[in-house]
Amino acid sequence: MGNYLVLDHVTKIYNSNDGKVHSLMDISLSVEPNEFLCIIGPSGCGKTTLLRLIAGLDTPTSGKITLNGVEVKDPSPERGMIFQEFSLFPWRNVLKNVEFGLEILGIEDRQDVAEHYLNLVGLDKVKNKYPYELSGGMKQRVAIARALATNPSILLMDEPFGSLDAQTRNMIQDELLKIWEMTRKTIIFVTHSVDEALYMADRIIVMSRSPGKIIEELKVDVERPRERTDAAIVKERYKILKLLGVEMKKIENI
Amino acid sequence: MRERTNEKWMWLIPIVIAAILWEILAIIIDDPSLLPRFSMIVVSFYELAVEGYLFLDISMSLYHFVIGLLAAFCVGVPLGIFMGWFKKIFVLLDPIVELIRPIPPLAWIPLTIAWIGLTHSAAGFIIFIGALFPILVSTYTGIKDTPRVLIDTGKVLGCTTDLKLIRHIALPYSLPSIATGTRLGMGVGWMCVVAAEMFGVSPSGLGYRLFSEFHQWSQLDYVIAYMLLIGIIALCLDRLFRYLVEDKLFKWKEGIVR
Repeated sequence: MGNYLVLDHVTKIYNSNDGKVHSLMDISLSVEPNEFLCIIGPSGCGKTTLLRLIAGLDTPTSGKITLNGVEVKDPSPERGMIFQEFSLFPWRNVLKNVEFGLEILGIEDRQDVAEHYLNLVGLDKVKNKYPYELSGGMKQRVAIARALATNPSILLMDEPFGSLDAQTRNMIQDELLKIWEMTRKTIIFVTHSVDEALYMADRIIVMSRSPGKIIEELKVDVERPRERTDAAIVKERYKILKLLGVEMKKIENI
Repeated sequence: MRERTNEKWMWLIPIVIAAILWEILAIIIDDPSLLPRFSMIVVSFYELAVEGYLFLDISMSLYHFVIGLLAAFCVGVPLGIFMGWFKKIFVLLDPIVELIRPIPPLAWIPLTIAWIGLTHSAAGFIIFIGALFPILVSTYTGIKDTPRVLIDTGKVLGCTTDLKLIRHIALPYSLPSIATGTRLGMGVGWMCVVAAEMFGVSPSGLGYRLFSEFHQWSQLDYVIAYMLLIGIIALCLDRLFRYLVEDKLFKWKEGIVR
């Protein structure tokens, strides 16, 4: 079993005004190639921090993250990231946004590559538009195309569909699954939606809040395409919601 | 359609009314040494354009203006980028900037004469002082305001150095802000033209003529004609800038165009 991305006792402590905050406490986790992993937990459980550490945008206070045995220290186009907030460069049109990473890498025929990925997310028709002309769902699809364009092996997604309406969200989830099956990327997907996690993931990590710890790990052994109301899914859903419910109580009691 | 044509010419109405009121007021006062009539100013314009040095003065003033503005842009933008991007540089330089910023460009005249003498560059320097700070402040504000998510995106997509992040993310993001600062700087800089030419850097220029000739000879109608001219030129410069830079360059920015 090739452990590919490994988090080894990763802890992240932030210094805030109230003293030290354990954002992440002793996280150990390994992710396999082509896996679709969802991380779920209440807000403030350090899900985003975890992704930022894997992306190399932050460094762990202690512990180590390795990818193919090499320690992760800096951001790299090898690990693509899609953010919760809209992150398109407003001064570039859609095509130029998708080309961005290739431009930085100095790749010559970037337009073909960019157009290929725009096709993949079904947005080749709007390639000359500017971000302000796009809907929220389109923006995130362009962001996905942009992250894919540099051909990363891992895609880190931080609640990318959090601000979309329910219909758009369901649609874009299917699209992402399609892309995932076509490109065979490893995806680590942070969400606070149990439905979303159960619909998409191979494996789900449930996290607790203060300190951010892994409290449960479960495999979703349901064939795709899944029904959102599948009996197995409903059962798992109940279990996760119960776990999260306990977490929510903890927040209320503070 | 009819309404739109009307709207297009609406700006003329207040100007015409102001001119008529002015004319009436001047007739009532009946003292050209206090308020010359508007019609007199129009005649003065004609005289100055045909027999005076109007065009020479305009080009001389624009020359001084360009020196000052160009210098302010070349100093203000890079300095603003450094101050906006590197927190330490900002902390170090901000007190100095805020100390010098409130000093009026006029107060710099004695020092300018001592340092540079009575040259075109001296006039340019006064205009430079006036235009620098709006450009500087808008530049560092724009750079500082660059959303974190855009910078993170840049990092993830391969911008590994500060230079790359500035060039590909922070600078393009700040361009509208820099443009606004430049526009403000142009306004302040142009206001400094009269002061910059007052102390005799050249025997021509709008400020020189207004202050050293018309004022000395109590030609109030010429003074007013030149005052209006200064305003009109500023208006044209501003419109030109907006047309060339903001409308063309910032199509991507919703709301900035209109």
